[in-house]
Amino acid sequence: MIQLEVGIVGVHIASHSEVFKKTVRDAVYDCTKGLLQHLGIGKDDIDTIVTASSDYYQGISCSNSYYFEATASYLKDSTKVEGNSIHAFMYALMRILSGHFDTALVLSVTKSTEIPQISALANISSDPFYQRSIGICDVTAAALQAAKYMEIGAKEEDFAEVCVKNLKNAFYNEKAYRKMLITVEDVLDSPYIATPLRELECPAHCDGVCALLIATKEKAKEICKNSLTEPAWVAGVGWSSESYFLGDRDLIKSQALKKASERAFKMAGIENPIKEIDVAEISDTFAPQELLWFENIFSKSGIDAIRDGLTSIDGELPVNPSGGSLATNPPIARGLLRVAEAALQIMDVAGACQVEDVNTALAHEAYGVGGQHHAVVVLRR
Amino acid sequence: MRRVAVIGVGQTKHGKRNDVNYPELVYEAVNRALEHAELTIKEVDAIVTGSMPAPMEGTNDPQLWLTDALGGYLKPLMRVATCGSTGISLAHSAYYHVASGLFDVVMAVGMEKMYENDPQGTMTTVAEPYYQRIFTAGAPGIFAQQCNAYIHRYDIPKEKLREAAAEVSVRNHLDALKNPYAHIKMKITVDDVLNSPVISYPVRFLDLCPISDGACAVIFASEEIAKKSEKVAWVKGLSYAGDEHNLGDKDLVNWESAIKPAKETYKMAGIENPIKEIDVAEIYNPFTYQEILYYELFGFCKPGEGYKLVLEGVVTKDGEIACDPSGGVLCTNPIGASGLIRVAEAALQVMGEASNQVDGCVTALAHAMGGVNQLNGLMVLGR
Amino acid sequence: MEDVRVLTGMISLTYQWVLSSTDARFFDELKNKKIMGTKCPECGRVLVPARKFCPRCFVDTTEWVEVSDEGIIETSTLVGEKLQFEGQPIKPPYGLAIIKLDGADVGLSHFIGGIDFSDPEKAMEKMKPGMRVKAVWSEERRGKITDIQYFKPLE
Repeated sequence: MIQLEVGIVGVHIASHSEVFKKTVRDAVYDCTKGLLQHLGIGKDDIDTIVTASSDYYQGISCSNSYYFEATASYLKDSTKVEGNSIHAFMYALMRILSGHFDTALVLSVTKSTEIPQISALANISSDPFYQRSIGICDVTAAALQAAKYMEIGAKEEDFAEVCVKNLKNAFYNEKAYRKMLITVEDVLDSPYIATPLRELECPAHCDGVCALLIATKEKAKEICKNSLTEPAWVAGVGWSSESYFLGDRDLIKSQALKKASERAFKMAGIENPIKEIDVAEISDTFAPQELLWFENIFSKSGIDAIRDGLTSIDGELPVNPSGGSLATNPPIARGLLRVAEAALQIMDVAGACQVEDVNTALAHEAYGVGGQHHAVVVLRR
Repeated sequence: MRRVAVIGVGQTKHGKRNDVNYPELVYEAVNRALEHAELTIKEVDAIVTGSMPAPMEGTNDPQLWLTDALGGYLKPLMRVATCGSTGISLAHSAYYHVASGLFDVVMAVGMEKMYENDPQGTMTTVAEPYYQRIFTAGAPGIFAQQCNAYIHRYDIPKEKLREAAAEVSVRNHLDALKNPYAHIKMKITVDDVLNSPVISYPVRFLDLCPISDGACAVIFASEEIAKKSEKVAWVKGLSYAGDEHNLGDKDLVNWESAIKPAKETYKMAGIENPIKEIDVAEIYNPFTYQEILYYELFGFCKPGEGYKLVLEGVVTKDGEIACDPSGGVLCTNPIGASGLIRVAEAALQVMGEASNQVDGCVTALAHAMGGVNQLNGLMVLGR
Repeated sequence: MEDVRVLTGMISLTYQWVLSSTDARFFDELKNKKIMGTKCPECGRVLVPARKFCPRCFVDTTEWVEVSDEGIIETSTLVGEKLQFEGQPIKPPYGLAIIKLDGADVGLSHFIGGIDFSDPEKAMEKMKPGMRVKAVWSEERRGKITDIQYFKPLE
């Protein structure tokens, strides 16, 4: 176990409805300002900034360049991660751990409404020689993966249950985008997008900004002393990568995710994750993936977990009380949303989504078609 | 704070690399760095990679396609990208990976393949579309405006400044001849530069950098690991800053986003008199005039006097501070790697292994710039 | 490319960037031949184009101020024929500049036009830093930055 002594002191999520009429720059400014006001601190209390956005997902290259000053970055050491915002969290954490900075703002923005279809953008992440020309994108890769999963026992009903669970959970999350009270039949009646994936099992692309402030233990305590919340302490982190070609990977058993989880658990001193984790925000960009990633993280059948109700909101280990990406998917920002939602649970301010007695929470994100890159964060009270 | 050092570097032969695809280009640099550091990929704990905006090569999130070529299979890998300053941001990120205590050996890899599409067209998309994009004529259009502002700011005799700029070009090109990895290998004269065609006034063809294919990898390590290595360049200081996105919001001559991080880097490294205490400065110099302006911004001389450093031979190998003995960005520019190449060359100088070695180099500075004249980062390496 | 085997492809993507209420008002005023800025309550600078917030002070800038359509060139360049790229708005040669309009505290990027670009040295003299310029408005204005056609150096 390693004592990291870094905490998340505050979170600010801007929902789709708060963002879609604003430019990226203005939406980022409002979110940053909102976080500062919420914490009762000023722009000079931010030592460093790590943002996450992707150029094709904005239509403005060097994407942080456009909203640079909106993150209070003027003349500050402010940098950008691409691909997924969960890496921005990791990088900001490392900046704090290095001792060079006491506070770091982590922020991510994506406006799905301004940009081409997400699947078009995912398709051009496929190399131009092999996978692009056969239409490998986020949907088709997830579909191939789900088909494989069904070969070893998963059923369409299992995938549908994930939708029912998460879209209902979303009702209790005022920041969620897609909220629906549906049944398994409703999901199975919705059209196939790419077999075996049904329309409702695919993500709800939307606009969003997510910001959080992390700080050293001393600074975190100082900032939180006038607030009702305690920091959510970072207990363990891990991230890892699969090979690029879909055919090179085991689409079901993700060694990368196993490695990432193991590293995070070891750092956090967790020996029995299923028992010790109280709530988890797991990447459910496509419904079957929630079950797959659950299996790889917890070494327990994801299919059994959903069938036994283990991961339901009143189960032993609720997964995605926020509604997950199935409810709210601003692509690059969604990784940071997982961490933010997990932090809200630890801080006991998740509102109507609050799970009881949360001491340890897990946030996971997968990005890259079919889940190429994985990252895991464990937070503790 | 944890001490961190560079223990190995690798570069591809830069230029028009029609013999390799993007992953193969990257693989070449990675292998060279591992060889130099005498490590296998197994011993690398994490990787951080970056390049210019993805539209440059036309593959979104290129780190996905390049994961395996980077040696990233089953490793922690992330993409950090800040346009032209990507290279220095990569070095900083790798430094923080190690300094955090989470990793002991981390490799930074920058790359670019620029002959496969239209680089100026891509660079123009860095400017937001509402107000500035149509007034952005690629990189030359922007830097030419900075150069022109500089020329008119101080009472610099125009001919002397043009001569100095031309000499900067001549020097860099001569130095590149000694660099086995450099792209442009050309012996030129001051007259060649002064008579070369205008690209965007006042910048002429030989005042500016080429576009190049290339990749660079630099391996950073913790003190325990570095102490066991014979090739070591310690990170003494680093800093980064950016200013506003709107080109008209900032003073391009008294350029704070370059002045501030230089001061902070020097402070961290305990440098008070840069021109005396730094032996080699690998400055990000895609344009001749810009290199001269950077002398002033980095405190080598007073504002308006940069041209004197050139004409008096201060910034040559035989002078007080050797600037860009590698030939700089002016002769080799695979943009995503360019900033990292500055770090690699600075490290080689400190290690005593540079192809154009400056005798007795103890302290070297690396720098890169990015965005539409928006971002600057520096790193000082030493023994 | 010469003797090299290549795979040729094209990526064509459509974006629809939102106009913030600040942008929308700025562009509407352009249709009326008015150039607007907003003033920062902390540093007092008038920012053009109008902004929602001050980039340096990080506070909302809600006071709208009209600035002149005349001003001074802060810097400029003459884009030459050799600089051509996909998506370029005009075929070179053409002039670019950053102009500080009377009443504004920061510069606005725009075209320089209405002068003869065939002799670059002469043209650069006319559009060098310090020269005064005035906006030439487009006949048809649509609420875009090109409602100003270019800035013309004054004799």
